[in-house]
Amino acid sequence: MLLIVAVLAAATGLIASERESKRLQLTQVRPVSAFSIAWGKFLALATVAAAILVLPCATLLVSSEFSSRQCSHVYRPLLESPKEEALKMYDAYMADPDTSPMVKKAHKSIVLRILEQRAKDHYQTVQTNETASWTFPGFCDWSNDNPFVEPSARFRFSNTFSMRDDVYGTVMANSFFGIVSNITQTAVTVPMRLCQLKWEHDVLSFRNMGDKPVMLRPRQDVELLVPADSFAWNLFRSYVVMASILALIAAFGVFLGTGLSRPVALFVGFVMLFVVEMGPSVVEQYPDSLETDAIDRFGLSVVRAVGACAKPPSALSPLSALAADDCVESKDALGTFAADFVLAPLVLSLLSALIMRRKT
Amino acid sequence: MEEPIVKLEKVSKTFRDFWLRPTVEAVSGLDLEVRRGEVFGLLGPNGSGKSTTIKMMLGLLAPSSGKISLFGLPPQAKAARAKLGYLPELSYLHPFLTARETLMYYAGLCNLPNKVARERTDQLLEMVKLSDVATRAVGGFSKGMARRVALASALIGKPELLVLDEPTSGLDPVSTKEVKTLVKALAKKGMTVLTTSHLLADSEDICDRVMILNHGKSAAEGKVSELGESLEEFFLAKVGSGDDFALADFLA
Repeated sequence: MLLIVAVLAAATGLIASERESKRLQLTQVRPVSAFSIAWGKFLALATVAAAILVLPCATLLVSSEFSSRQCSHVYRPLLESPKEEALKMYDAYMADPDTSPMVKKAHKSIVLRILEQRAKDHYQTVQTNETASWTFPGFCDWSNDNPFVEPSARFRFSNTFSMRDDVYGTVMANSFFGIVSNITQTAVTVPMRLCQLKWEHDVLSFRNMGDKPVMLRPRQDVELLVPADSFAWNLFRSYVVMASILALIAAFGVFLGTGLSRPVALFVGFVMLFVVEMGPSVVEQYPDSLETDAIDRFGLSVVRAVGACAKPPSALSPLSALAADDCVESKDALGTFAADFVLAPLVLSLLSALIMRRKT
Repeated sequence: MEEPIVKLEKVSKTFRDFWLRPTVEAVSGLDLEVRRGEVFGLLGPNGSGKSTTIKMMLGLLAPSSGKISLFGLPPQAKAARAKLGYLPELSYLHPFLTARETLMYYAGLCNLPNKVARERTDQLLEMVKLSDVATRAVGGFSKGMARRVALASALIGKPELLVLDEPTSGLDPVSTKEVKTLVKALAKKGMTVLTTSHLLADSEDICDRVMILNHGKSAAEGKVSELGESLEEFFLAKVGSGDDFALADFLA
């Protein structure tokens, strides 16, 4: 985050300060296009930021604690989308006498949004001696292709009882079997071993063998982990993603600095960064009953619109995945690189060039 | 007859405020031609529109109306800019670069190959007498030395047209004479020079033709030799002698 702030601060000054010191004129009268000037500034800063990022990555790589670790592909169960679930819940929810009258008066889209959030956070309770199952498409094919590679299952239990209570149970997936014996953690990774049993295809099952029910959100708390490659490769992919995020910030800062004076560009940049970063938590924490208030609704709409345009850098950051040994997928890293390091900066540099030409 | 290198036809520039209301008309219906190989002087009192005219010529400002062509092309065209050298009124140099690095940087912007750029840099540093301090950061240079680096950087791309905005501003008499000698030498080699200056004596020495601007309009234009015995007297006659300035009355 510190590097993001530093890159944004540096980027806003690249063209703005040159324009204010009139040094930009000397470049503009040379046979170079306005696009080359903007793109060159962006590329220089993105390269410096990427070079700075090498140092912490190299430190992690040589550290013995991390270098021996392996990362895993993370798969989530196939479930109905929260939107579809919200649509199904809508009629029953509106007919429910417990539903607040304010919500009943609200526009359908607002109610659907509330229900969508509920669907995302929907908890599934697994009673004692009960089995819960989730489908992971393609898992059977994968296990046939990799007969000697053993997967793991990761659960995040949200117990209504004390965190110190035990969770006991068994996990089965295709021909793999594991035992859950968790004592103090709510998140547990269960290694699974190959066994003679043959379970249902593409299905992961958890059987609660403890003496208390357990709760979890299937969309977020159930994951199947499949061994991938080394920490070094995962670090490299994470590095590409982080460098791309910094590049996008750099391109955006250069764009702001082209149109505005440096202090204004800096202010606008930081405000936008703050709104993008804090927006999701504001939307998430806002109470449903207040959504009908016109001013609040307007504020939330603005935050939602910003959220639809840009994801917060902290959510895009691969650091938490890296720390948890979750694989940063190559296609995601390449996609981020193409979008954040190439496409978006190209568009922003073109816009900067247009502004530069308009300003002359 | 050969096409002029710089051609302005009925060019006007009106500056506007935030609400797009006109605030000042800096240049009004100006016609100007600079022919190949001549040294052309743009003269005028402060606020007469000299710098605005130069900026429009260089493509740094868009005219409100009228047409500008540089080597027969629009001023923003890369091909036109490749033949252009510009020395601004103040030397806006990167303070942390050395004199050599500054010239190499601008040579790069002019797309000169590395070997040619190095040769040109050495020649120009020699020409502006800065070879001894070529590896010193220009931020530590005196105003005169910085001016000479800026002049060298304007010449790095072997321009056909050299635009000098107040070239002798801030220079001591010796450096002023050197710059004038240099401009004369460049003109002798066939380079076209367009210069602005407040110092009429300087213009008288180096210019073949001058235009006197007043309130954004051309007050007079012609060969220096045709404007009478003294350019200064002619200038004062065209733009006012300052007799109407009431400072003496105010002080009395």
